[in-house]
Amino acid sequence: MSHLRGRWLIALPMSLLALATIYPLLFTANVAMKTRRDYILDRFALTDALRWDNIVTAWTSVGMGRYFVNSLVVVTFSVLLLLLFGSMAGFALSQLRFRGSSALFLGCLAGLFVPFQVIMVPLARIMADTALIDTYPGLILVYVAQFLPFTVFLMTSYYRTIPAEIIDAARIDGNSIYGVYRRIMIPLGTPALLSVGILNALFCWNDVLMSLVMMPSAEHRTLMVGVTSLRGQYSDDIPTFASGVLIAAIPVLVVYLFLQRQIADGVAAGSTKG
Amino acid sequence: MPIGDTRPSVRPAGRTDPAAADTVRRRVGRGAPGRPRGERLAPYLLVAPAVLIIVVLRLYPLVLGVNFSFTGDGVRNGTVVGLDNYRELLADPLFRTALGNVGWLVLLLPVAVAIPGLLATFIYLRVPGHRVYRSVYFFPAVLSPVIVGAIFNLLLAFDGPLNTLLGSVGVPPTDWLGDPDIAKFVVVGVHVWATFGMSLVVFLAGFATLDGALLDAARVDGAALPQVIRHVIIPGLSRTIQFVFVTTMIGMLTSMFGLLYVMTSGGPEGSTYLPEYYIWIQQGQMNRPALASAASTVLFVIMLVVGLLQIHLLRRAGKES
Repeated sequence: MSHLRGRWLIALPMSLLALATIYPLLFTANVAMKTRRDYILDRFALTDALRWDNIVTAWTSVGMGRYFVNSLVVVTFSVLLLLLFGSMAGFALSQLRFRGSSALFLGCLAGLFVPFQVIMVPLARIMADTALIDTYPGLILVYVAQFLPFTVFLMTSYYRTIPAEIIDAARIDGNSIYGVYRRIMIPLGTPALLSVGILNALFCWNDVLMSLVMMPSAEHRTLMVGVTSLRGQYSDDIPTFASGVLIAAIPVLVVYLFLQRQIADGVAAGSTKG
Repeated sequence: MPIGDTRPSVRPAGRTDPAAADTVRRRVGRGAPGRPRGERLAPYLLVAPAVLIIVVLRLYPLVLGVNFSFTGDGVRNGTVVGLDNYRELLADPLFRTALGNVGWLVLLLPVAVAIPGLLATFIYLRVPGHRVYRSVYFFPAVLSPVIVGAIFNLLLAFDGPLNTLLGSVGVPPTDWLGDPDIAKFVVVGVHVWATFGMSLVVFLAGFATLDGALLDAARVDGAALPQVIRHVIIPGLSRTIQFVFVTTMIGMLTSMFGLLYVMTSGGPEGSTYLPEYYIWIQQGQMNRPALASAASTVLFVIMLVVGLLQIHLLRRAGKES
């Protein structure tokens, strides 16, 4: 399987690119461990000790700890609701026959073509009118609405691959439709639910625009908005700035290291089922 | 892990209609004697939450926003002003810059697609270390643009590491984020660096559906890599390439806010404005929701036009080859 005569010639620039991809994060981690004086003296030198005080400062006095918890709460509930509503709709649209199912499916898909930027103004107004602006439920709803079309689409295409006989057998055993959903579709859907859940968690965790618009108060601020506020406050204290950035990046890094496969599968499934 | 392993067949567009899967459904409802009414309503109850949320919080706001763009701001709040907002938009140099930058993005699009495409080709052909490359390249794609932007702020600062490094080999320092002619390309460059991993994974998924026999045949015929790419890979992956083109463009138009906000705040001199940033500024900072709605509507139209145009062009290109 080698069309590549100069395999190693190609591997060299690819390795350099790989280094260039990792280096910025390593650099940031290194800076977070330094004292301000060390950073100013030499930006590149490896830190002489693993200092955690910058991280602690960022976590406590900068407020990154509180923002972290805010993000965690919002992301957890958003993902749970997305998986629940997405799998319910996916099951019905893929396996049940009812009037208007095609129209409803297309209606859900239509949501894919409406980016948040396009509906930002009216959505903020709706949220303000319903007193949901600057509340956890408000931002959770906005996230759920943003990522549901994708979730419904993926769950529907996944559930289509489940043989009808399994569901028929469960029905003959006396299960209601809801029983089939609970006892068959949820367990069988686990791989897809895991993939979609992780992807959605990343999307919500990484979002800045929606939380910036929907969560104006500092008390409810999410972690990414917290990162944006670092620049103004800590522009002369780079190690603390780098620590704040690191706090926001580490959860994603950990998830990536353990669940890279599921993330890639989710992306791939979203692209090949079109 | 069935999702990835089941090699989903790529169906022709327009076959996503659920009715196409008739064979795998049971009839519920009419003509199902002995089923309680709850059973007949079940499918509707199952789809209700998703449909309600999508209709109320995505489709309805779209209509609302378009309507809104024809009304006034401030003292003229709520009155119909026809096309005034659109006239004001086109007269605003900031919005023009934003549109001009969209033009730049369209021009740079082939590069943003070719890079992951080429890298995916090498990984698919198993260059030494291909597994590592795949993992490493994909990583920045899962980082928030805000984190990426903050890291590059650090690296590209005037007294920052990059200039220090260049200075050590005698290159004078560049104001990467402060020079209007340079900043916009720096931001797009960072965006491409941070997102090409997504497209790479999509390309690799496309490669999984490619017929290996064709590649082997090409190799037996002694085709060189450029020929293989041109005659086997590009035609074989035309659907994937189409998909990546469209998603990359949509990504450039709708997911650069975090980068712009953190790296340049639209500056220097408004040179890094994009429509989404303009919308946010007008709504959040300038208190001009109706003007922002007009900009939103323009963005939506741009996305539709660009999307349809690309699909059309790529289809034609596909037919010719």
